[in-house]
Amino acid sequence: MRPADSVATSLEDSSSRRALLAGAGVAGTLAAIPILRRLFRLGEANASPSQAQDIRILQLVLQLEYTQVAFYEQALRDANLEGELRDFADIALGHERQHLAAIRKALGAKAGPKPTFDFGPRTKSPEAFVKAAIDLEDTAVAAYNGQATNLTKATLAAAAEIVSVEARHAAWVRAVAGQVAAPDPVDEPITAAQAARGLRLIGLKAQ
Amino acid sequence: MTAHFQNFDEFLAAVDRDGAVGETRARAEATMSRRGLFGLTFAGAGATLLARAPVAAAAGLPAPDLDILNYALVLEYLQASFYTEAERSGALHGRTAEAARVVGATERAHVKAFLHLLGSKAVKRPTFNFQGTTEQQRPFLKTAVAFEDLAVAAYKGQAPKLRSNAVLAAAVGIHSVEARHAAWMRQLFGITPAVNAFDRPSSRASINRIVTSTRFIVAKPRMKARTKPEFTG
Repeated sequence: MRPADSVATSLEDSSSRRALLAGAGVAGTLAAIPILRRLFRLGEANASPSQAQDIRILQLVLQLEYTQVAFYEQALRDANLEGELRDFADIALGHERQHLAAIRKALGAKAGPKPTFDFGPRTKSPEAFVKAAIDLEDTAVAAYNGQATNLTKATLAAAAEIVSVEARHAAWVRAVAGQVAAPDPVDEPITAAQAARGLRLIGLKAQ
Repeated sequence: MTAHFQNFDEFLAAVDRDGAVGETRARAEATMSRRGLFGLTFAGAGATLLARAPVAAAAGLPAPDLDILNYALVLEYLQASFYTEAERSGALHGRTAEAARVVGATERAHVKAFLHLLGSKAVKRPTFNFQGTTEQQRPFLKTAVAFEDLAVAAYKGQAPKLRSNAVLAAAVGIHSVEARHAAWMRQLFGITPAVNAFDRPSSRASINRIVTSTRFIVAKPRMKARTKPEFTG
């Protein structure tokens, strides 16, 4: 079993939430927002926060940050990125490296080794890169948000400093591509299992 | 005539003409002793209950959460009014006009959500004077950047203080959307959308100081009409 799977299994809850990468993508409609019903359903309590659970969650987040670093590194090498899109990838890579370092430091000896990746065509052209970067950053935002109620308050505060930077990346790359940069009124979370599935769809292979 | 407040709490007290905030605090504190009961009710049929009976839901939330929600509501009022006014001014063009439309709709949805949640406990919408920043594209963008970065830092500062998981889940889902808005407005303004690897939180006191310094919040509605009256007698 891959690490992301074991983390996912231990954290998976039963509610069915939008699988970000599974199909729907980002809904563009702002009309008719049953916002509260959705928001509050998300707050259903999972396991009580604990330091041990923080570590399991950080191990998932570690996979996420490893994936982002590898993705931007490969894309900068292979995707023929130019202009503002290249600036975006450069700056985002720098941020993801700092996130990775912070999470590795927090996990210490419990930090797993770097996994392997196969991003396929996603790091081979600017068009594919834009689409994959949006998917990856949206997955990061949804994954962090999905764990907010599972984290101890101290770790939540640290995670909150990262998640908004991922959200900025997601909006930035959309804006560069001429898309609506913030299509949803609220970011819906995904479960750890959905996050792990999303990472595998993008190119996370194994350790 | 405008009045400037030392901080948001003072401001909240000033707009709290019917005593909604004070009443909220008193009731919520009384509710705390029955939290077990409300907790059970909430955990059970919470979502449906909330959608249909916002007052009951608000009464079931811990007092500090209600306080934070009202604080967030004022920031959302500020943003929603700003974008609505900018859109109506007709001064925006191109992609900026599109962004203002989309972001404005989102901020209005946030206001609506908080009003629904807080019910009669919600603070009233203040009167704003955006000092002309909604009437030209560059000042609009500059102000939008400031508002969005401020909102991100404000939500981040409050999120770990929330006690209700339901409110926390809502708050983080809005927090990251504000960050998307911040990046979008920065990109349109021509500055780096994501400057640092870590976005730092801001305390309530710090947010209060910044908002107060803008002089965008006025105590009373402006007496001077914005447009010529249709009927002059």
